Amino acid sequence: MALLYAILVPYLAWLTWAALRYPVPLSYNWRSLWQRKVSTCSTAGAIGVVVAIFVVVLSLDQGLSRAFVSSGRGDQAIVIRPNSRVELSSTIERDKMRILKTSPLVVEDATGPLISSECVVVRSLEKADGDGTANVSVRGLEPAGIRMRDQVRLVQGRWITPGLNEMVVPRRMQGRFMGLGLGKKQTFGGRSWEVVGVFDGAGSAFDSEIWVDVVALMQAYRRTMFSSALVRLRSAEQVPGFAQMVDQDKRLKLEVRAEPDYYADQTEAGQPIRILGNLITVILTVGAIFAAMNTMYASVASRTQEIGTLRALGFRQHELMASFQWEALMLCGLGGVVGVILSLGFNGIQTGATNFQTFSDVSFAFLITPALMAKGLAFSLFMGLAGGGLPAWRASRIPLTEAMKGG
Amino acid sequence: MRFLHLILRSFLRSKRRTVLTILSIAVSVALVAILQSVLATLDGFANNPDASNRIVVRHKVSITNMLPMRYEEWIRQQPEVDTVMGLQWFQGVYIDRRNFFPNFASEAEYVTAIFKEEIVDYSDTQYRDFLRDRNGCIVGRALADKFGWKVGDVIALQSEIFPLTVRLTVRCIFKSKRPSDEMGLHFHYKLLEEGVFYMKGRTGNFFVRVRHPDDVPKIIERIDRHFRDAVEPTLSETENAFQLEFLKMMGNYTAIIQMITGAVLVAILIVTANTMAMAIRERTTEIAVFRAMGFRTGQLLFLLMGEGILLSVLGGLFGLGLAWVMAGAIRNVAGTFLPYLQNFSIDPGTMALCFQATLGVGLLSTFIPAYRATRRPIVDGLRSL
Repeated sequence: MALLYAILVPYLAWLTWAALRYPVPLSYNWRSLWQRKVSTCSTAGAIGVVVAIFVVVLSLDQGLSRAFVSSGRGDQAIVIRPNSRVELSSTIERDKMRILKTSPLVVEDATGPLISSECVVVRSLEKADGDGTANVSVRGLEPAGIRMRDQVRLVQGRWITPGLNEMVVPRRMQGRFMGLGLGKKQTFGGRSWEVVGVFDGAGSAFDSEIWVDVVALMQAYRRTMFSSALVRLRSAEQVPGFAQMVDQDKRLKLEVRAEPDYYADQTEAGQPIRILGNLITVILTVGAIFAAMNTMYASVASRTQEIGTLRALGFRQHELMASFQWEALMLCGLGGVVGVILSLGFNGIQTGATNFQTFSDVSFAFLITPALMAKGLAFSLFMGLAGGGLPAWRASRIPLTEAMKGG
Repeated sequence: MRFLHLILRSFLRSKRRTVLTILSIAVSVALVAILQSVLATLDGFANNPDASNRIVVRHKVSITNMLPMRYEEWIRQQPEVDTVMGLQWFQGVYIDRRNFFPNFASEAEYVTAIFKEEIVDYSDTQYRDFLRDRNGCIVGRALADKFGWKVGDVIALQSEIFPLTVRLTVRCIFKSKRPSDEMGLHFHYKLLEEGVFYMKGRTGNFFVRVRHPDDVPKIIERIDRHFRDAVEPTLSETENAFQLEFLKMMGNYTAIIQMITGAVLVAILIVTANTMAMAIRERTTEIAVFRAMGFRTGQLLFLLMGEGILLSVLGGLFGLGLAWVMAGAIRNVAGTFLPYLQNFSIDPGTMALCFQATLGVGLLSTFIPAYRATRRPIVDGLRSL
């Protein structure tokens, strides 16, 4: 990668300098491109498709990462069993929870201490599109747990009442699963749970969870142990201190993770998408470079006479090379713009993927960020550089006499 | 085939263009072939003919809920049932998470009876050793080769689901018909039961072998009806349906892959059409001369189309070759994070599909420029250039 930059950066610098210093006007290239409308459009179109695929696949990963990254607060920590990595496979006994709850480092608000003992189970729900079922996380939490997740807003109904078999569901899941409307009932753990509220998790991982009361959930599942505890501390700096305290307490044998770190680890769920995206990108880039090269070679070949004229007017070889390279960049940049516009059509579409660590579904949206668009554009320009280099070199090497003859 | 020579000549008229076009078609076809093979491989898991008389019983609520072990005896008493085995996915990590392979806590005495089709070839003495040693395990040949395990080696697996690390002695190595079936490890269920208190008398799944495949629906129905009102209701399905459920978790990936395939095909179409348009435009005069000489429109169309199809077919063949080479690399890389891809290969069906697709692209992309060229008045053609 570094080697690539070592070659590209000086080359780009030279190109910019050439465009500013030497007067083969860029408008000449722009007009030449439109001399061959069909050819230009089809090449730009093909590059556009490639760039669009690139951006859309990466936007999936982006959306998934956003879901996890936006879930944590720096001053909060998750307590789990060591080596369990995710809440689902973690267990905390009741007496250990009692010790945690009395920790002096836990912050209190007007209602009480900000610590929530939680229990996470997985439940399969029927998908709305009729394509079978998917596993969904059900989180049992205390009222403090709702207050501690301040990116989550109630949009409809009310929050759950402790002790009752009620649940609140994320708005984003309602479209993807059946039976999550307000007032509908779901049966699990041998009980019937009523949807009493709908919340919006602002794109966080909580948009993929159903929330219920922790005591009711544990009774229904006949569980004697919690999964995890969420703890609010005075500031992010106190997290290591809290971790040390838990670590030194021989009774606990638990692991403390800062909430953002915990969720950042979960972005691993996006790994298959990333690998798929990289594979597709590498293969398609090669193909698109060949296509761009083809068009540029054809363009050079049909303009032999023009090149001769330019040379006769006094333009030098490297000036011509820079000029043709710019033309290739324009062509591919055009494709890049088309591709980015195409990909914007996907922005915000809701989808889901499975987090294989928790065997449960993650709802998220395709997220096309400006950074991603810039990446797509840069990518198209790279194709222009790689695909235009050789044809430009060739254009600058055509012998003057031959060029004047008209090839 | 009198014109083959003519087609070849015009095909090689601009070698650079031909080569570049073939290369760009080839890489795109390679991508399509790989993506489609990924889908085909995944589908293969849910259509395993060897599993036709096996049923998986799980908790109705989700795969992470456990069933009481006592259900096993009732299932075994059903006259159509051959064998039943409790099995729990252990998700043990060997040294590093990247060394992923499926490992199960299974009831040792039934392993070979349930997985008769997979555990084909093993030595009876080794298997007896495995049964006698509670810390023993039975592993597939391919898996043993991968990590260089021999009989008698001790391996430690740290579970990601249970608070337990097991130290297992390799007691038996088995061979299968397919290398992908040799990637599993089974150890004694008792070890898990004794190591994790809440697993006492509980297991994740029952694997049921039915005597005759025709009885499968009947048994599924009977098991679920029997346990319907139990505290822990069951959900039984064929092993293939069970696998399908895991694959469905990737449901959206499937849609995305199909979409990408479509987009790539459109891109190839554009690229090929562009090349053919360039090639044909160059020859405006030539085509006019041909027609003046008495070639008919149909013949000329045939000549030009032949060229386009030759181009795409060569690109397609080259691309399939490329995909075949890449498949090996993907098997090694992807197999570690998506166990389903350990068996990855480009099967003949996908090859045929990709080949047809390129053929179609060749036809479509050449037809419009070729048709336009042959419609052009001869006088115009002769005058140009």
